[in-house]
Amino acid sequence: MMAANNYFGFTHGGTQYGAATASAAYGGQTGYAVAPAATAATYGTQRAAATGYDTAYQAAAATQGNLHAAHAHAHAAAAAASAYDASKSAYYQQAAAAYPTAAPPQPQPAYDTTAKPAYSTPATYAQGGARGSGGAKPAYGSVYTATTAAASYPSQPYTAPAAQPAKQTANRGNSAYDTALYNAASMYVAQQKTGGGGSGWKNYNKSGVGATPQRRPKPQPKAQQLHYCDVCRISCAGPQTYKEHLEGQKHKKKEAAVKVAAAGGAAGARACGASALRCELCDVTCTGADAYAAHVRGIKHQKVVKLHTMLGKPIPSTEPTKLTPAKKTVAGAPKVSFVASGGLSTVGASSSVPRPADKEDEKVEEEDEPEVQPVGQDYIEEIRGDDGKALSFNCKLCDCKFNDPNAKEMHMKGRRHRLQYKKKVQPDLEVKVKPSMHQRKLAEAKAQRMLVRDELWARRRMHEAGEDDERAYWEGADWWRGPHHHHHHQGMGMGYGPVGRRPETSDDRHVLAKHAEIYPPEQQLQEIQRAVSHTEKALKSLSDALADHARPKNQAGKAVIKTEDKKDDKPEGKEDGRDNQLFSFVGEGEAAPASGDGAGAGGAGGAPVGGPGVRALKGVMRVGLLAKGLLLRGDRDVRLVVLCHDRPTVTLLKRVANDLPHHLNKVKGPNEDAKYKVELQPAEGAVQVSDGTVNVVVSLTSAVMREPAEGGDIKRDDKDVLPRQKCLDALAALRHAKWFQARAASLQSCVIIIRIMRDLCRRIPNWTPLNPYAMELLVSGVMQSASGALSPGEALRRVMEALAGGLILEHGPGLRDPCEKELVDALGNMPAQKREDLTASAQQFLRQIAFRQINKVLDMEPLPKVKHASGGWKFPRKRRRSNTDADQDTHNGDGKVVKTEEKADVSEINSNAKK
Amino acid sequence: MVRGAGRGGRGIPGRGGMGRPPFSRPRVLMLRPPFDLILAEPAFPRCKPAPDDAALTQALLKRHAELCPTPTEQSAVLSIVTKLQTVLDNLVVAPGDFAACQLEEVRQVGSYKKGTMMAGKNVADIVVIMKTLPTKEAVEGLSNKVNEELNKLMRAEGLGNVSSTCHERGFTVTAATAAVRVLVTTLHQNLRKLEPEVHLDYKVISSHLAAIRHSRWFEENAHHSSIKVLIRLLRDMCARHSGLEPLTPWMIDLLAHHCIMNNPARQALPINVAFRRSLSLLAGGLFLPGCAGLPDPCEAAHSRAHTALDLAAQDHAAATAQTLLRVVARGGHRYVLGLQAFEGGKDISTEITVWDGVVVSPLAPAYHDSPEPMDTEDKDDDGIQDGVAA
Repeated sequence: MMAANNYFGFTHGGTQYGAATASAAYGGQTGYAVAPAATAATYGTQRAAATGYDTAYQAAAATQGNLHAAHAHAHAAAAAASAYDASKSAYYQQAAAAYPTAAPPQPQPAYDTTAKPAYSTPATYAQGGARGSGGAKPAYGSVYTATTAAASYPSQPYTAPAAQPAKQTANRGNSAYDTALYNAASMYVAQQKTGGGGSGWKNYNKSGVGATPQRRPKPQPKAQQLHYCDVCRISCAGPQTYKEHLEGQKHKKKEAAVKVAAAGGAAGARACGASALRCELCDVTCTGADAYAAHVRGIKHQKVVKLHTMLGKPIPSTEPTKLTPAKKTVAGAPKVSFVASGGLSTVGASSSVPRPADKEDEKVEEEDEPEVQPVGQDYIEEIRGDDGKALSFNCKLCDCKFNDPNAKEMHMKGRRHRLQYKKKVQPDLEVKVKPSMHQRKLAEAKAQRMLVRDELWARRRMHEAGEDDERAYWEGADWWRGPHHHHHHQGMGMGYGPVGRRPETSDDRHVLAKHAEIYPPEQQLQEIQRAVSHTEKALKSLSDALADHARPKNQAGKAVIKTEDKKDDKPEGKEDGRDNQLFSFVGEGEAAPASGDGAGAGGAGGAPVGGPGVRALKGVMRVGLLAKGLLLRGDRDVRLVVLCHDRPTVTLLKRVANDLPHHLNKVKGPNEDAKYKVELQPAEGAVQVSDGTVNVVVSLTSAVMREPAEGGDIKRDDKDVLPRQKCLDALAALRHAKWFQARAASLQSCVIIIRIMRDLCRRIPNWTPLNPYAMELLVSGVMQSASGALSPGEALRRVMEALAGGLILEHGPGLRDPCEKELVDALGNMPAQKREDLTASAQQFLRQIAFRQINKVLDMEPLPKVKHASGGWKFPRKRRRSNTDADQDTHNGDGKVVKTEEKADVSEINSNAKK
Repeated sequence: MVRGAGRGGRGIPGRGGMGRPPFSRPRVLMLRPPFDLILAEPAFPRCKPAPDDAALTQALLKRHAELCPTPTEQSAVLSIVTKLQTVLDNLVVAPGDFAACQLEEVRQVGSYKKGTMMAGKNVADIVVIMKTLPTKEAVEGLSNKVNEELNKLMRAEGLGNVSSTCHERGFTVTAATAAVRVLVTTLHQNLRKLEPEVHLDYKVISSHLAAIRHSRWFEENAHHSSIKVLIRLLRDMCARHSGLEPLTPWMIDLLAHHCIMNNPARQALPINVAFRRSLSLLAGGLFLPGCAGLPDPCEAAHSRAHTALDLAAQDHAAATAQTLLRVVARGGHRYVLGLQAFEGGKDISTEITVWDGVVVSPLAPAYHDSPEPMDTEDKDDDGIQDGVAA
């Protein structure tokens, strides 16, 4: 064995450096003869040997101050390398020095027997001998591994590739030396094993055997040396753990994988990462050159390299990188610099073998290159120190920092960064996605769901459209049916009647609440009703009496009969003017002659006064508030107009005033205690009937008054005839009442709004100049111009809009009076300042309505919001009249609907506020 | 509420009432248009002789002539816009080594494109649509690149240098006599990828996209010269009265278009009528909450142009227009139009004025910035009283 060992050390020297060096080595050995004494002395125990060795080695290397295994190893290696590099002789001295220290105490025979078979294989030897030719080295490597396999890893399947890589690593350095080193190490371990029993392994580690060619003849060469698992590339602490590892799941998995890979060839490996780089040494796949470089720099890789170096195993480097193998190894294991010597003649030859593979891989890499262009340089900011040197980098996209420019580069090519870049900068950047099966399934499922949902929506939408149309139709009908029956019944029905199931907005609720407040109470209505009714009946009675007087001679009897008839017919005939139409005094019998002149407004003028068969008082009609149903709470004054056959005279008026009380008492029921007082108002051309609470003004007029002045005629009557203007006013009032009933009353919300506006005009001085008729014209015009029906709140707002927009200002069109033939502005007499103030006020009101302060406009407390929203959705509909509508607390649960509207309004306000 | 911008394209149906889902039904309130005298003509036939508006018409035309940019100004703007367009087009077609961003499209927008530029405001607008997302760095990079290229061009023609400054909407290229605002935006599909701290503001980005739609709409619908005249007049009027200042050019465009074109005859109205109408509509609450206002033709259905204003601004704008309406009605159009400065440049909409013995006073705001606008508060002191006082 000593021979064998010697052979190694010697042949190396011999073949490579010639005999001179070899002899020098031997010289060294003799020079070291001093040492063996010390070492030999201490070698009695294993432990002592280790320490002894260390000290010895320290002496030899002159650098070692550290007992720690790893360090010892590293330094040893470095020292060895430097020694080797500097002078060959020193190296050999060292080697030789080691040798004798180990040699003496070892039981030679045992060593011989075990070691020899291992090294005396002809092949080995032959190769060793042929090494001079240069081609021997690879072979040598394999031999050496074979040896190790035989010696220490009997159970391990040593794969061929492992041997192959050896070439590359080895070809850079002195593989012979490498092998020697390795062998020495294993020998040493073996010695320790045999010599010191089970504890040898630890010692081995501690003493940093890797660099120590300390030999001892070992009795049992088969003994386990290093518990290294080649598949997993790890070393184990002891046989026990090693065994456990071998039986472990992890190992078995890896083993199987390796087998598969071996069977499937390199193709399998390539498939798994076409652009990937693989570190054969660690069996790690890296995604890119940078990642690979990082791996190589990393501690894990270093460890493996260290381990392999330690074991003398080849360090594979078939990685497809552009880096030259030499560089890589330097980068990878700078400490094992004994492999770094590139001065060997064999390098070129051996490295020529793997070239093709390298090139191929380079090609692959070049193809990948454009894809991993670093992106987003602009988003990496350098954080510089005081000296302006970049201390670290901060990627703003990914919010991460690096200290290392390399790391920055890598980051910029990295997948995560690219994803961020794609997300934040360039959406069409291609980032390789490797969707797993799971992800793809998820995506498919999502697409499927979307499809189904779209279809569903589409179907529903169609259905909904139909339903909506239908609903709109019915609602429209409903809506238009509603308005007609209030207001022109008996002049004072409940005006704010059915609003249907329209949703009501807060504005609507306020308007309706205000309306309910200003609407006259039932008792007031009844009082007015009674007074008016009695007056009408009395007038009729009076008219009859007058008619009787007018034809006393031949028609008296007939007239009486007529009167009686009429009284009998009461239930069926018209008893008073409560339908707000003309209450004609003309009885059926006289219909023919009377209707010609009387009922028709433009009746035959110039008929002689008191002509036969003609009544002086033809009929009475309610006008003004009463006729229009615009009475408000507290209104006491109502008007009646009596149409006379001819120009009403003061005489006639006086007669009426005198006779009326009598007739009033006549028509009054026996148990009615109302006391009527009749007052003559000649200046007004009227008599006033008052029962204390209600004043009924009865004006006398005649259609004849409208006739153009007929010169002498008028002058003739001038003294006696009632004031012309008053008569004309009364006539106009008649027409206005008729116009109102025909046009305004039928418009939705119109009467409500006119009542509200009347209240406004009563309350606010600025609005007082707006005469009632003009106001009615205005409101009805505004309603009429709206495209659809308006809810009360909307209607009020629209009126304000019209006024605010300057409708009544000077440049406006004016309010045309539809009851006049000529173009007459119903507001023509309004002074400029009044118009201005009214407009300004309306403008303020409009904005208050818009900002939900309609209560200020209406002068009322704001209504509380309606609380419950249940069922609001039951009335989905087209909202033509969205945000105005008011609650009307008594009505059929409409309040429910209101709440949601309310909410929407609030949310509108909110969302507007946000904008 | 009716803006609808928030619910486009999410699979939620635009209409409400999907088979009556019990909750979260999108509420589409169909609001009413305001009272518009022009459209309400049949209900209010003219019964007075039409006022003599010759003075107003003359004043309007005179003011418009003042507001039109001079040929010198126009050519200055044209020159820089053309060059900038060239530079940007080159970047679209051949970006070369320019990697800060990728450009999809470059479009001229705004008053320059619409032909409604005002004298003294030589700023044109160009929208740049990026394919990449508009990060601040990208904008900066583009700005630098454009600056560099443009300066090359300018030097080649022996013109002065331009400078470029970035801001939150993009950057502005300023030459000696004119400037171009380059507004940066991105593709529509990128909008939801925007992040507030990395990119330009979402609202800004989408407003730039909207600007493109606006100029397109304008080209198709509002090319009538009367509209452009009215736009200039209104923009000038709005700029000089604090309450109307918040109105955006787009609102003014829509308003002018509505006032000129939206009438029963579908013929352009005379400028004086349209001017009165615009004031009247504003005063009549066209831009107040609860009013249909003007539908925005460039947004999803039911969106209203004026909802971009906040409530206080809506109130203030309406109040100002209301006062101006009354001033014009009293013959104060020269002040409103800016032909004559009012008492040394005071805002006439905030002053009490007397015209032939008629006192015209400004109005108090109706909007209170209280959390519960509906709740009981001093209803007497400023509700009715304001109305009375006014």
